[in-house]
Amino acid sequence: MPEGTTLRKQSLASRLLKPQYIMVYATVGIFLLIYLYGSFRFGKLGSNDIGFNSLRTFVNMFKDNAYYGISAVGMTMVLITGGIDLSVASVACLTGMIVAYGTTKLGLHPAVCMLVAMVIGVGLGVLQGAAIHYLNVPPFITTLAGNFLARGVASLISRESISIEHPMIDSLAGFKIYFKKFSEGEWVKVKPIAFININLLVFIVMIIVGTIILQKTRMGRNIYAIGGNEQSAKLMGLPVAKTKIFVYGFNGFCSVLAGYAYLLEVKSGWNLALQGGELEAITCAVIGGTLLTGGVGYMIGTMFGVLLKSVIPALITFNGNLLSWWGKIATGGLLALFIVIQRIVVTASDRSEARAKKKKT
Amino acid sequence: MKKKKFDISSIMQSKITWAVVAEILILLVCFIIRPDFFKISYQPTTGMLYGSLIDIINRSAEITIIAMGMTLVIALGGTDLSVGAMVALSGAIALKFMRWDVLVYNTPGDYTVMPYILVILVPLLVCTLLGLFNGFMIANIGMQPIIATLILMVCGRGVAQICTNGKQFTTLYSPFRVIGQGSLFCLPMPIIITAVIVVLVSLFVRKTAFGTMVESVGINPSASRLSGIDSKKIILIVFALTGLLSAISGLIYSSRIMSNDSNNAGINYEMDAILAVVIGGTNMSGGKFSLAGTVIGSIIIRTIVTFVYYFGIVSEATMAFKALIIIVVIVLQSEPVRQKMAKMGKKKKAADVPKGGAVSA
Repeated sequence: MPEGTTLRKQSLASRLLKPQYIMVYATVGIFLLIYLYGSFRFGKLGSNDIGFNSLRTFVNMFKDNAYYGISAVGMTMVLITGGIDLSVASVACLTGMIVAYGTTKLGLHPAVCMLVAMVIGVGLGVLQGAAIHYLNVPPFITTLAGNFLARGVASLISRESISIEHPMIDSLAGFKIYFKKFSEGEWVKVKPIAFININLLVFIVMIIVGTIILQKTRMGRNIYAIGGNEQSAKLMGLPVAKTKIFVYGFNGFCSVLAGYAYLLEVKSGWNLALQGGELEAITCAVIGGTLLTGGVGYMIGTMFGVLLKSVIPALITFNGNLLSWWGKIATGGLLALFIVIQRIVVTASDRSEARAKKKKT
Repeated sequence: MKKKKFDISSIMQSKITWAVVAEILILLVCFIIRPDFFKISYQPTTGMLYGSLIDIINRSAEITIIAMGMTLVIALGGTDLSVGAMVALSGAIALKFMRWDVLVYNTPGDYTVMPYILVILVPLLVCTLLGLFNGFMIANIGMQPIIATLILMVCGRGVAQICTNGKQFTTLYSPFRVIGQGSLFCLPMPIIITAVIVVLVSLFVRKTAFGTMVESVGINPSASRLSGIDSKKIILIVFALTGLLSAISGLIYSSRIMSNDSNNAGINYEMDAILAVVIGGTNMSGGKFSLAGTVIGSIIIRTIVTFVYYFGIVSEATMAFKALIIIVVIVLQSEPVRQKMAKMGKKKKAADVPKGGAVSA
């Protein structure tokens, strides 16, 4: 049936070219461009042999910002509902502090401390969500309070950084899956050595979990609906309160996971750790195509946002002549570029919608 | 025989009253713990007044100045996250202009390389232009203020570092020292500068129609456009003004330490300024604003910090105090609570009416 197939083909093409996907394509495209540039300039593809395009560099790009990535998963959901959460970095910092203090100073088992931190982090998230919904306070100011509170409490616990030494933490931090290749009849590690650590594993798992929640569950549909228009979502009878509280609670969960990841990386708790990290997480999500006005955003975009944020410092390191501060400027420039693209896409889709409406009438 | 009635209910409803009451309460606690808290002494050698109260107002200068602009930004329904980065940038430019021969002469001396007028004016000009850029992104491209200013927040510190080539300059140039450490009429210079700015901004806002226009755009942008207010121009002016004020604040900061510190200058100033505005009774969702309230809000924040320093509590614990204040303000400002308070107020008023009627008759 030729008619049916053309119809399906058209629908597939138009489905792939939805305006909200274009942002994700732009992110992936720019990442690939920068990555290819780096590979030709500093990799085996070009003349020299430094290895920008090695597997190790690629895996490290995930690993370097894994904690921001984990946090960005929850942040993406919050942003899709049209909210914002400034408390994530402080909650992650508090998590590290609780585990370090509990293990080193109180002699508790790290698992117990981790559980306590999880309860506190999720509890704070749920409280924030409830305050935002029931008291009708702007998310910005509510989570600013959460930010100050978590960091204040972390500082009250200790001002000095507490290092942590425990077999469980060591074994978690030392967990590695090496990439191997099959050569001459046996598996050997690829060179330069590349491995997946637990942070990267958690990051990938969280991206998958986030995608499933957003795309496959009723909760995900509610999240998008609230971000599109909260009033109509309420009128449609969607559980707005439950959804919002879930989203902020889940973000608290992600923040605590990010706190674990940071803890495993530095093996200590410090009250000034990850300062300003909340905006890094927001930047990752926005570069990945999430609209701050709500209603649009994809986990896969966020993942590429994190990659895009790590590919720039990698490029600067490989260059070797530039100050690392250029990384920040480049990130700011990218942010500006993406916001302008978003703006253009949104206006264009609004216009085409208006035109379609005119045609109908 | 019209006597101005001492109307207790209108005073109770005024938001500034609560801020003043809170400030007085905190000061009272300080006074009870340390009876010499209010003591102000005169130092004949420097010709300056010394004391905790003077110090509180002196040290609150940076935040107060920025918060003047932030009040207008929030009244428009936006936020400006870039102020902290602009503080760092303005200090960096000023120090670079005074000391860019530092490669040749390594000892800090009482001299300036560029003319002093440029040292002051160029940072002000640059930050005003950056503020205009923020305003342009918001008014002409139609971005959300929070995301438009996030761009500069992310890359502003990077620009400041690049501008000084990652170096930290120090200077002993005495006319520059006057800005942050000099005195006039026995008072520290920052207090005088702040007072002048507060008066100028208040006059500009209240003696012209500008303040009313800002409120009108903040309450309903499309209605104010229809009534002939050029909202784009107002947004541009407000953000440019905030940039200018951040630059002044940055000059005061760098003059206090006689150095540029792009990593730490103005860190968290955006949050503190927003906090000062919110404590002062201006609602985050835009509309009516109160400059006097903002000044008191800023002083309250500084009082708490001084309180914490004075009594030897961990300095980072101020965060926890700030969080408590925000929580109280959130609860008081939230709609459900306000509605309940309004109901209680009405009952009281209803009881008052016969009394009042009898008096006027």
